[in-house]
This record gives sequence, structure tokens and C-alpha cells, in this order.
Amino acid sequence: MNDLLPQNQIDSFKAKATAMAHPHELIVDVLRAIQSHHNWVPDAGVTLTAEVLGVSPVEVEGIATFYDKIFRRPVGRRVIHVCDSVCCWSLGAEMITEHLQKTLGINLGQTTADGNFTLLPTCCLGACGDAPAMMIGLTTYGHLTPEKIDALLQKERAAIAADD
Amino acid sequence: MNPYPQVLFKNRRPGETILLPEYEKTGGYLGLRAALKMSPEEVCNLVKGSGLRGRGGAGFPTGLKWSFFPADQPGDKYLVCNGDEMEPGTYKDCQLLLADPHQLVEGMAIAAYALQTSVGYIFLRYAYEECSQRVERAIAEATAAGYLGRHILGTGFDVELHVHRSAGRYILGEETALLNGLEGRRPNPRSKPPFPAQRGLFSRPTNVNNVETLANVPHILTHGKLWFQELALNVESAGTKLFGLSGHLNCNECFELPLGITLREVVEDFGGGVRGGKKFKACLPGGASTPYLTAEHLDLMMDFDPLEEVESRLGTAGVTVFDENTCMVAVTRNLNQFFARESCGWCTPCRDGLATISWLLDQIENGQGTEDHLAMLHGQVRNIKGRSFCALAEGAMGPVEALLRLFEDEIKDHIRKGCCPFV
Amino acid sequence: MPKLIIDNLEVTVPEGTNVLEAARKLDIVIPHFCYHKALGAVGSCRLCAMMFLEGPVSGVQMACMIPAQDGMVIATNDPEAVELREHVIEWAMTNHPHDCPVCDEGGECQLQEMTVAGGHAVRRYTGPKCTFTNQDLGPFVQQEMNRCITCYRCVRTYRDYCGGEDYGVFGSRNRVFFGRVEEGPLESFFAGNIIDACPTGVLTNKPFRFKSRSWDLQEAPSICPHCSLGCAVIPGGRYRELQRIRAGVNETTNGFFICDRGRFGYDHVNHPERPREPRIDGQPASMAETLAAVRTRVQDLVQKHGPAAVAFLGSSRASFEANALLREWATQVGSPHLVFEAHQGRDRAARVLAARLGEHARSLEDVRQSDLIVLCGADPLAEGPMLALAIRQAARNGAQVVVIDPRSVKLPCSATRLPLASGRLPEVLKALSQKDLSAFSRQERSVLDGLAAQLESARQPILIGAADLLAEAGVTALCAAATKLSTPERPVGAMVLLSGPNSYGGAMLTGAADDFDTVLDAIQEGRIHALVCLSSDPFREAMAPARAQAALGHLELLVTIDSTPTLAAQRADIFLPARASAEMAGSYVNNEGRMQAFLPVLNPGLPISQTGAGNHPPREFFLQTPGSEPEEDWLILAQLLESASDLATIRQRLASSDQRFTELPAIAPETPGIRMSGSGQLPPAPPSELPHCTPSDTLTLLAVSAPLGSHWLAHLSAPLAAQEPQPYVCLHPEQAKELGLNAGDRARLITHLGHCHVVVKIDEMMVSGQVMAPQLMNTALEGMLPGSVLDCRLEREVQV
Ligand SMILES: Cc1cc2nc3c(=O)[nH]c(=O)nc-3n(C[C@H](O)[C@H](O)[C@H](O)COP(=O)(O)O)c2cc1C
Ligand code: SF4
Ligand code: FES
Repeated sequence: MNDLLPQNQIDSFKAKATAMAHPHELIVDVLRAIQSHHNWVPDAGVTLTAEVLGVSPVEVEGIATFYDKIFRRPVGRRVIHVCDSVCCWSLGAEMITEHLQKTLGINLGQTTADGNFTLLPTCCLGACGDAPAMMIGLTTYGHLTPEKIDALLQKERAAIAADD
Repeated sequence: MNPYPQVLFKNRRPGETILLPEYEKTGGYLGLRAALKMSPEEVCNLVKGSGLRGRGGAGFPTGLKWSFFPADQPGDKYLVCNGDEMEPGTYKDCQLLLADPHQLVEGMAIAAYALQTSVGYIFLRYAYEECSQRVERAIAEATAAGYLGRHILGTGFDVELHVHRSAGRYILGEETALLNGLEGRRPNPRSKPPFPAQRGLFSRPTNVNNVETLANVPHILTHGKLWFQELALNVESAGTKLFGLSGHLNCNECFELPLGITLREVVEDFGGGVRGGKKFKACLPGGASTPYLTAEHLDLMMDFDPLEEVESRLGTAGVTVFDENTCMVAVTRNLNQFFARESCGWCTPCRDGLATISWLLDQIENGQGTEDHLAMLHGQVRNIKGRSFCALAEGAMGPVEALLRLFEDEIKDHIRKGCCPFV
Repeated sequence: MPKLIIDNLEVTVPEGTNVLEAARKLDIVIPHFCYHKALGAVGSCRLCAMMFLEGPVSGVQMACMIPAQDGMVIATNDPEAVELREHVIEWAMTNHPHDCPVCDEGGECQLQEMTVAGGHAVRRYTGPKCTFTNQDLGPFVQQEMNRCITCYRCVRTYRDYCGGEDYGVFGSRNRVFFGRVEEGPLESFFAGNIIDACPTGVLTNKPFRFKSRSWDLQEAPSICPHCSLGCAVIPGGRYRELQRIRAGVNETTNGFFICDRGRFGYDHVNHPERPREPRIDGQPASMAETLAAVRTRVQDLVQKHGPAAVAFLGSSRASFEANALLREWATQVGSPHLVFEAHQGRDRAARVLAARLGEHARSLEDVRQSDLIVLCGADPLAEGPMLALAIRQAARNGAQVVVIDPRSVKLPCSATRLPLASGRLPEVLKALSQKDLSAFSRQERSVLDGLAAQLESARQPILIGAADLLAEAGVTALCAAATKLSTPERPVGAMVLLSGPNSYGGAMLTGAADDFDTVLDAIQEGRIHALVCLSSDPFREAMAPARAQAALGHLELLVTIDSTPTLAAQRADIFLPARASAEMAGSYVNNEGRMQAFLPVLNPGLPISQTGAGNHPPREFFLQTPGSEPEEDWLILAQLLESASDLATIRQRLASSDQRFTELPAIAPETPGIRMSGSGQLPPAPPSELPHCTPSDTLTLLAVSAPLGSHWLAHLSAPLAAQEPQPYVCLHPEQAKELGLNAGDRARLITHLGHCHVVVKIDEMMVSGQVMAPQLMNTALEGMLPGSVLDCRLEREVQV
């Protein structure tokens, strides 16, 4: 289980859950914690969440599959959420998406062969003033151009390489 | 430069967050101090008298909402701040929280006192990690300074605030879905009645307000209701409003402007006019769910009631502008795809009706549309509007209905030509 | 009571009734999906639109969500409402496949009905449809997700109503999936209800797949024979085979649902070894010859040895009418030996209940409305499953549930628990009623003190027990407690689970006669020479099986009337084949004394699947239907008595001969049934128990019944038999530790009945000091008669 969530976090969630009247409240938090540690939430992550909080796996899965930012399938080391809502769309999001697809060699919903990037469409990121925008991990980037995207990808690749 | 009085954005500096010392220096937490010297009802009445209306989209009078709250009911009660902000075109709460988060903290402390709730939740969307961190820092600062926690400012009143980070989905902005989300249930909306004030979070009385709504409260406490009313250009209205501009404008920024300012001024003076010298064709006046305005509406006051008179809504005042080369069928298709994708799946009109509209608009935009499709589209709008379980699908009908009302010729053009006339 | 006008018709309904129900009262049925009377209204499907013209609400509204109020004027056929309904059904059908011709729901598909009623005939949407991958949900429920219209009824039935935790809803928008987290059998004992709840062909009856189209089924209202609660069921038969059962509706008893034992326990009717021919001394004979033979041989024995030489054994699963005629026969012969249950403990408990229950009787609906439920020595899932669901509904409305039991009683709701050895159950009931808890330990009192206080303050408390563990003394104590704790303003209810659908009826018929143990003694001693067994099997059911087998061997004449292959049927000198309940009209009296009528679904006959041996149609032809000899149990007895042989006359005669049964002729199928008036007689004082000393290194074994495996008819039903557990024992962790046993270990269970191999289960909620073993038919645990307490040893088996 340890590759899903560090033991100290498991313990602290468990302690919180026993102390609170409604441990369900923490389902999203535990799922997010697993995801930030393990990149995505495998079946075992659902079971672990249920076990840590003392709730049924069905409830956890019902929630995990509802939110679009919880990944129940493997994703790359970096998830790129490219906005396709109206403000970004009006300023060329389609072109931006195409550029991402071409550069990464994948379609929306896919992961690059090297496992580095997953490309997902997302609704509005709240960066409408900076459209077109995308989010890598939890960081939002606006005013995108193909050049800026290339530079960002470059930077992420370097960061991934440094991690390994 | 913005010539209008700055209240919420008075401390805003690009790329920076105001920390507690500076916030205090510019009058911060005076509102809370003032509130604690009053009775909860007095605070409530002051807010009621100020004319503050909810900034979350519906424009419900805040003081009135508070006055329905059973503040004297014993037992747990909750205050919830709605910072989901996922409607395309809306990014004002984010700007506010990034720049000056203590306003929200102070506003919530005051609201908690007025409503006699000791626990508050700040619900923030997934993409607002930066905001979450800044709000958490502000909470920590305020707690250390005695503005939050036990016996705030030496009174007998306790307030604790928690930040909840969501994991995506627009429906969480709907207040009852948000409560389910906070509880860790599937975030389908709940039926009303009972309203959250009667049975909300964990089945206890709960008050839900938008970030900007709550951020206005300290200023009302500090400066009084008359001052607040005079901020607006429209005598019938009160306060400033954060306008987030986007789309085909030269300057897509978030401005604090008085309610009642004309659309023309917003577009031309603040938005810098339409990009590339093109003509203004239409705009969403307040987020993806608000019916389009066109050039004929440019001299209207941007305010709750005036926009309702022309069958639109101020919504969140996220103004998204489209230039003359924009295909409104394509815009509407994009908007509808958003709503269809964000449907929670609970009720049939929204779950399957929005998908049907997406398909119809696809057909029309791709040149496969027929008169039958157009008739069908009318039927969809007629039967989704006012018929869905919650207001998501209702909101989704805003642009579609406006498309049919204002741009039916454009649809017919698509059908006649067998292709989109704009490409 | 609000009065409103719907489609120009006035209707008055009770406060709180929604407008959809109010319209239904006028026979105006508007299409709806998400609303279900038992599940309530959630307003998600948006189909039940009506136009509210006048009154407190106006415009098009969802009728299910609006409580009827005075002054409402409503039109169901208003064009706006009609248009909305058309649209909603069209939307619901957007992704639905065009597979009606091959769909198992065909013929009873609510979606089809609603689609037609909603006016949707032509699909305008021509885009791609959403599709899903199905899950294997186990042996009972078949899933075909593409047909789903997302009405959420299954999950509301399974999770909210039934309390199942392994079925849920996943995903969102127009891609909502209903199922399990992982493929696998549904765990709830009420899983089958989602078959009835699903309005379309997503969830269908798996054992019934490919057997019949629903419109080809013969159906009739019946009563479930699998426990003493008397749930309404609707069996369906075809080709001389009983093929399925669905829930009937009786809002006083089961409500809208049934348990899986009831639903999948139809197959005993089709059992390949079911004896279908009359037999005399092992030779087939005609019905007339056989009846005549019984009469002569019984008469001969009476002449030779006197009337007391014949004993009569009735049954908890024969019809009330048959049992009553058996009593008439005994009276006519003049024999004092008339017993209605071979299991002595169950018999005596039922008789005490029939004598003492009186005004304390409560229905399942009363349980659902109760605010305090005390389960003392009752395990609903095993002994009366729908009681568990009724308790859950009460708990959902805030009722307190307290469980006092040696077992770890599984309930679909939370409960306060006090583990207590079975022998102490009467004691605790007595103590509660006398408000003297001094005999209990501090730990025990921590639960009991609270309970005592709740018993004072509860509005509608009900004490619930069961015959097996409470036995005579416990049922006596339970009824006494109900009386003691009742005040005129606040009566206390009681309910006791008995062994079969007609146990209470049998108990009401029994006089002060001795129990079957005495009969066995008399047989052993040569005082009784003949035994007439009506649908019971003393070889398996009498409490000391070895002694029973030995005694019964002395009989000169054993006459058996039955519809199942019991040992008594096999060993009978004369055998008369009876119909199963689904093959006849009759009545049962449930555990609260409620008389309920049932109707025949099909005529008996060898199922074509058997005669054709997989070949259909069969290649051989007969004038007579093969295997069609079985007759109604009451008809067989009426013929033996040479008395009137139609049901109405029989009921009439019973009603006029015994005023407790006055209402019998008035009972009708598909009604709530009628409670019997008056009470039964107490059994004679129990024989004083021989002092029992437990050898030092032995444990106490408590035999109980299990949800599956212990019940004869269910055991004979193939879909259920396949799910019966392997022999196991269950004990408290401490006791396991003492014995060096771990969960899952194989062990040897040694009792005076012999040795058998069992798997060890460990459960913290077991009382320490007793080991529990379920009776399991056709296994080494078959002899563990529920309610018996044995000395045993348990030895860990070393795996080779
Ligand atoms: C689909 C939907 C999404 C919504 N999203 C938001 C949101 O992101 N933020 C918000 O403050 N209110 C949102 N609302 C409105 C809230 O339900 C609620 O009315 C509001 O939070 C009340 O706050 P106010 O009175 O301060 O405006 C949404 C409503 C709907 C129907
Ligand atoms: S309109 Fe219906 S499906 Fe849509 S979000 Fe609201 S409840 Fe869910
Ligand atoms: S039955 Fe009324 S909304 Fe579904």
C-alpha cells in the first residue's frame, strides 16, 4: 500500500477520521492525496480510501468517478489540461490543442509513449483573462502560443528528467 | 486608469498578495471589530439595508438571505463560502483571492457572527491551488492575530474556517450539490425545499454565499450602508462589481467597476474595444449561462434588474465579447458542450437533453442541419427551461434560447448553405 | 385531508400524499420512473409532469414532488405537460438500444409502457449511442447496462431501502453506470429486488433467463412458503414448471419487496425427485385406491388397538385448511395424538405464542413504524428475512435497534448489541419486564440500563424473538414482558418468528395435546401403531433424530402426504402426493395470526424440460399429463374424511365450527389478509429437564438456522442450493484463541451425533462460551436442529 500513500499520511487521515463525526468528508482529500503521491488512483486506492475512512468502497468509487480531476486510469507523469471553454476557444484554443497534439504525438485522452504527458481537455480553468490557457499539474499557464508551449514542455521534460 | 472607487481591489498589485499587516493598515478587520460591538441582528440588518446582492450569479439580496437563517437555533450551523467559480468567462473570485484574501476571511468572520455559526468552509475549485494556499495563509495569520479561533477579539464568540479543495466539476457550484460535495457524497443537487438554511450541511442550517459577496461585507461594516449604496451608478443598486473581461477584446482583465456602468463603457473604455478594430457582435454579459447581448444593448446599465428587462442576466459579470466574424452557432455549441459535459447526470432533461442539443448544434454547424433540427431545437429549449431538477440546465438554456431569439437567421443560413457561413 | 381536483374529478387524500398518488387514486396514471411508493419521490426523471392550474403551486410541475393540498386544480392532459412528457421519454430513450425483441424484460417493460404512454414513437436522434461493459453480478441478477435509462431506482432499492453496500452509482452526465466496484456476486440477501425495481431490461432474473417470455407465464397471487412472515409473492409458471417468483404487494406485510430465498426458492416444485404418484407399500396405485387403503388400514388399527393407536402430525407448510381437516380427522378417530410440528421446541414455542400474543401482535408494517425494536434471540436473515428489511426502514426513520443474542446477528442497519448465551434470553426478558437488572454484570447493564430507559419512553416499542432460540420459556417471557411493559396509552408490541408459513395456524389448531416427543415415546413403547404425516418429516425434524429414527421404525403404518421427497415420503407405507402451494388455492396463517389466501399458478405435472430431456416438444404423447396426480392437501384430507371437498365449503365449515376462524371465508388474495381472533391453548407443562452435567473439556454448541441451507423447500430449489455454505462453526475470538483456532482453519466438530469437518469462522459479536453451528441439509450438519444445545469438542485439523 505504501506506494499509494505514505504511512504517516495514512495514519493522520485515520486519526482525523476517527475523531470526526462524518469521515465521508475526507473522501476527496484522501483521493487527492493518493493521486498526488501515486499520480493516479488505482483500484487499490479506492479500497485504501474506504479502509482508511471506514466507509464503503462503493461510495468512494461513486465519488472518484464523478470528479474529472481524479484519475481512475494511469496517466503520464504530467497531466496537461487544455481548456476548451468559450473564452479560450474564441482566442484559438483549437489551434493550441492541435499544436499540443502534434508536438506530443498523441490525441486528447492519450498518454505519450514515454509516459511523460497525458493530454486532457478541460472546461474553463478560471483563466479567461489570460486565454488561451492550460494547466499542467496544478499550475495554470495563459496567453499560450505554440512557442510558449514548446518552452513549457521543454521545461517539464527537464524537470521530469531531474526527478528520475 | 480606472477612475472609479476601488473597494475590493484597492490593495491589488499584480503578482502579489496582501498580508495581514498591510491589510490591517488599510482598515482591515475594522469591520469585524465594528460587527462584534453590534448584536447579530444589527449586523444582519445593516447588510440588509446596504442593498448588497449575491455575487454568485443569482443576485439574491444577501441580508434577506441572512434574515431567513435560524441564527438562534441551538446546535451546529454552518457558513459556506462558494468559491467553485467554474462557469466559463468567470474568474473574478480568483483575482480577489489572489490579491487580498483577508477580505474573505474577515467577511466570513462577520457573517459567522451575524448568523451565529462557528464553523465555516471555504469551498475552492481544483484549479485554484494558488488561491487555496493564499487563503490558508490568511486564515493562519488571522487565527494567530485572534480574528479567528476561540473567543475572537476577546469576545465569547468562536469561529473556525476550513478550506475544502474540490476535484473538478461545475455542478459543485450549485449550492446544494456543493453541500453534498463537502459531505463526501455524490455531488448531485438536493431538492429545495428544504433550503440549506433549514437543512444544509450535515442536515444542519447552512448559509452559502459567494466569495465576492462575503468580501464586500467588511467594507459595509466599516463604511456604512449609505456609502455602499452610493458606490453604484444605478441609484437602484448598491456597490461595486468585479467584471472579468474575456473574448475578442484588446484588454482582457478583471476590473472593479460600479454597478450600473454601461456595457459600452466596459467594452470600449476598459476592454479597450474589440480586437483588430472589428465590430462588436455580441457578448455573454455574465458567464456562460447568461443570454447574449448584442450591439443594440451596448448602452444598457450593467446591473441585475436592467439586464433582466432585456431577457438576459448580470450573472457573475464575466463579460465575454465576440466580434463580427464569430459564428454564434459555434459559440453556442461550445457553451452547450460545456454544460452537457458538466451535467451531474441526475435528471433526464439535463443529462440527455443537453446531449441532444449538442448533437443538434453539431449537425447545424457541420452543415447537416435541417428545418426539422431547428424545430427540434426549439422544442428542447421549451422543455428544458424551468423543467430540470436544478439550475444548471436552466442556465444552459440561456445562450441557446438567445441564439434562437437573436440569431435564428444565422442558423437558417447554416441550414440553407449546408455549411457554416463563417469558415 | 386535502381535497383537490384532477382532470375535473375531485379526490380527497390523506395529508402528505403526493399528487401523483392522488391521481392514481382516480385511476389516472401518469408516466413516471423515479417515483416508487416504497422508495419515495426524488424528482430526478422529470417525467410525471402535470399542469397546476389553481392553488398554491402553479405551472408545469413534477407531480411526485408536490404534496396534495386543498384547492389544487390540476390537468394531466395539458399540452405543455404532455409535450414535456414526450420530450422526457424521448430523452430517456436516446441511448436505449433497439433490442426489445430479444430483451428479457419484454412484456413487462415499464419503459415500453411509458414510452407508448408518453407518446414517443419515432426516434429523431440519429447520433451515436453510449455503450457500457456489463458486469457479472452473480447467480441471480443479469445486467445489460446499455438498456439503462438512469432512473436510479436500482441503487435506491439496493442501497437505501435494502442496505446493501456493494452496489452503487458511478460516473456522471450521460455516462452513469450502476453496478459493483468490481465484478462479482451481489452480497445483499435482498439483491433480487433490483430485478423488480428496474423498469427496463437492465437487471433481469438470471435463473429465469431464456425460459419464457413473461406474457407466456401463468401467474397468480400467492404467499411465500419459506418462512413464517407470509410475504406476498407472484409465482410464474410455464410448461408445467414453476419458473420464477416476483414480489407481490402487501403494504401490511412485506410491502413491495421480498428476500432472495423467497424469490429464488421456487424450484422445489420442479424437483426431479419429487414424488408425484400415490403409492401403496411401494407400489404405484390410483388415487382412489390409495385413499381407500388409508381409510381401511387406519380403521383396522383403530379397531385393533383403540383410537389412541393413531397419531397425526400436521405441518407448518401445509395449508391451514388441510391442517384443520387433519384435526377433524383426529377428532373423528378420537385420537388424542395431534401435533403440528415434529420439532418439539418450535411446536411448544408456537403454541405459547398463539396462546399469549393477543393484542401484542404486530405486522411488518408496524415494525417499519416502530421507534424501538428489541431483537432477543432472533436472527431475521435466517428466520424471517423480510423482518430485517422492516427493521432497517424503522432504523432509517430514527428507531433504536437493540440486539440481544448469542449469535452475531447480521442486520442491514446499525444496532446496539448485547451478546448473551441462549439460555439466558428468557432471564433477560424477565428482568427487563420486572425492571430488576441486578443479576447482570456491569458490562451487560451498560446496554440493559439504556434499554430499560428506552422501553419506558419509546412510542411504539416492539419486542421480537424467534421460536428456535427462545423456545417455550423465552416466548413466555417475551409475551409476559410485552404485557408487563404495556400501559393503556402505550401498548408494547411483540413478534416471534416461527418455523413455517403456517406455524401459527397449526398452533391455533393444537389443543392441549402432548408434543411429538411424547408421541415418539408412545410409538417406541408400542402404544401408537400408525402415524399420519401431513407435509412434515419427523425423520429429519424431530429434535432427537436418532431416537426418532429408531422409534419411527416401529410403526405399523406410516401414511405420508407431501409434495417433496422427504424421508417420510420415501419410507411411507402409503404415500399421497400433494400439490405445492403454487399449485393450489389455500391459506396460511403468518406469525402474527394473519390469515392470507393464495391462488394456484399452475397445475402439477412433470415439467416439459424433464419429460423432454432437453428436447422440445416431447416426442411421446399421453392422454394424461405425466406427473399430474398431486392433489390439494386439503382435498386429499377432505376425501379421506369423505366430506365436502370444495374450498369455500371447507372454509365455511371451519368458520362456523370454531369462532376464532370466523373471518376465514372472507379472506381474499391480494388483500392485507385478516388476523385471527382469539387465542390458542398452552401446551401441557414441559417435562422436567434432566440435570445435565457438561463433561469438563467440552464446549457448548448452539445449533441455529442459516439463511440458506437450513430450510427444506429452499434446499430443494436448485438456484439456492448452489449457494449454500460449506459446513462451518462460528465462535468468539477469545474462545478461538483458547482452542488455538484461526479464522479459516479446518476443524473437526465432535458431538454425540458424530464427527464432521467444518471451517472455523470467528466473529467478535458472538457470545463467548457458545459455539454456533448452522443446520445444513445434506451435509454432516444436517442433524443440527436449530435451537438444540449440544456438548461438543472442536479440534483443529492438521492439513496433509
Ligand atoms: C450550476 C450552478 C453553478 C453555480 N456555480 C457557482 C459558483 O461557482 N460560485 C458561486 O458563488 N455560485 C454559484 N452558483 C450559485 C449558487 O448556487 C448560490 O446561489 C450562490 O453561491 C449563493 O451565493 P450568493 O447569494 O452570495 O450569490 C451556481 C449555481 C448553479 C445552478
Ligand atoms: S439540471 Fe439535472 S442533471 Fe443537470 S446538474 Fe441539475 S440535477 Fe444534475
Ligand atoms: S416520477 Fe416524478 S420526477 Fe420521476
